[in-house]
Amino acid sequence: MAEKRPPRTLGPGHDQFWEWCSKSELRLQKCASCGGINWPVRQTCEFCGHAEFAWEAMSGRGKVVSWCSFHQDYYGGVMPRPYDCILVELDEGVLFLSNPQGFAIEDITLGMDVAVQFMACEDGGGSFKLPVFARV
Amino acid sequence: MAEYTPLVMPPSAREFSRKASIVGLGESDYQADYRAQRKPPEGYEPPTTEGLATLAFERALADSGLTRGDIDGLTGSFTYGGPPPAELASLLGVKPRWNISNGNIMAGPLPVVCAAIAEGKADCVAMIYAVNSRTAGRVFGGATHSGSNDPGEGYGTPPSYYYYHPWGWSSQAAHWAMIFAHYSMKYGVREEDLGAVSQQVRNHASRNPNAVMQTPFTIEEYMASRYIVRPLHLLDICLVNDGAVCLIVRRADMARDMAKVPVDVTGWGEAKIKSSKLDVMVRQQLRPQLEEAGGQAFAMAGMSQADIGHFEGYDAGSIHLINQIEGYGFARQGEGVAFCQAGEMDLTGRLPSNTEGGNLSGSYMHGWSQVAETVRQLRGEAGTRQVAGLQYAMTSLAQTDQAHPILYARGEK
Repeated sequence: MAEKRPPRTLGPGHDQFWEWCSKSELRLQKCASCGGINWPVRQTCEFCGHAEFAWEAMSGRGKVVSWCSFHQDYYGGVMPRPYDCILVELDEGVLFLSNPQGFAIEDITLGMDVAVQFMACEDGGGSFKLPVFARV
Repeated sequence: MAEYTPLVMPPSAREFSRKASIVGLGESDYQADYRAQRKPPEGYEPPTTEGLATLAFERALADSGLTRGDIDGLTGSFTYGGPPPAELASLLGVKPRWNISNGNIMAGPLPVVCAAIAEGKADCVAMIYAVNSRTAGRVFGGATHSGSNDPGEGYGTPPSYYYYHPWGWSSQAAHWAMIFAHYSMKYGVREEDLGAVSQQVRNHASRNPNAVMQTPFTIEEYMASRYIVRPLHLLDICLVNDGAVCLIVRRADMARDMAKVPVDVTGWGEAKIKSSKLDVMVRQQLRPQLEEAGGQAFAMAGMSQADIGHFEGYDAGSIHLINQIEGYGFARQGEGVAFCQAGEMDLTGRLPSNTEGGNLSGSYMHGWSQVAETVRQLRGEAGTRQVAGLQYAMTSLAQTDQAHPILYARGEK
């Protein structure tokens, strides 16, 4: 049963990211010029302005940097509240905003190890797989 | 964000220091307007940007002792739209030789005016700020926040405001929540500790008849207030209200024989996050930008942290005020909340801060009401919340991606 979620940003570049997710792969844009990993998806490199990227596979491993829990309804009831978000530093150095899977915010310690999983979701653009993180 | 007019900051140059002084101040009735909106009396008509701007201007002009004929410069700053320059001049009944649209939030408008005065574009400038966020039903989060890295609709909106919708992440409050949750884990500061910040600001507001929220609260009441985005409570998040501020700024050498004590603008700085916003914001607590911009301002003014007797920070979220107090060097990293708990931000502490009630309890004028309070404090007009013997003060606009400090001195009459 797919969870309903607020809308993704779709379009050139964004679509490729979600296509990789649909194959349960976390891949981000690696600049063909400077090698910098870009996230969120961009048309030109955040670090050097170059416009060519390769879709680089991430290890899927990371550490929790921060968290928050939404009590206020910002999405017209699409998500049951309260729900939690975490900020994960991937092994590759990128900060990735996501949701905890199978653990509570009370369990979180700074630097706790987590690994990516993919969860069936849907929004106005159809069904998709959302990268979320579980404890290692 | 798309409404924001680009503004070119003048450099933090010594030749611009002390060339202009604030000689007139006017604000709208924040408290009365907020109450009227919450409980509209019969025949209530919500305030307009134009009406609020006119009121603040008339009050500033009366406060300065000047006449319309003395005003030869005019700038308009409006966060969610307002009259263009010629229309504003006509509305206020002035004939300025220099008249510009001047950004919106307090991230540059005052330095722009001080530099223009130093360069001879005008001698006496009325700066107008007005906003009707509450009347306009402005919301600060949700799926309507859209943006793009590509030129076109929504261009320039930071991705953190729209890109993480599928994970349910939105709103300004969530930014502050992520900042504090990290800070809390790193430094062992608890929610009930952070409560002291909003409590201190509210205690100040209880001495300000024009503050929107004036009733003091206990830490127990703070903890019982609902979460907006945990770990932050309702009382950690700023107000949304309508209002206007007018500052009349005059050439410093023409400001020595005025009705009120002049407030000289001595320095300013600016630093923005260029990339990796989440990292700088959450892990570095905006520290590099605060240090850089603060350093520019202090060097320009020939002043140091030890000179500052009153601070007005941008408390859109309680933790962000602490980020600024640490980032500018008033407290050590991780010790800002303890600094507040020890009473150092109170009227008799080392750094009386946000004495009018800030954005949390006073008024949310996007940094302009902080400048207004600074003028009152340096003049010695702050009544029961006056900081004794004040000579130098600092304001700071700081958002999740930029820092804009300004320094001031009580001028000689």
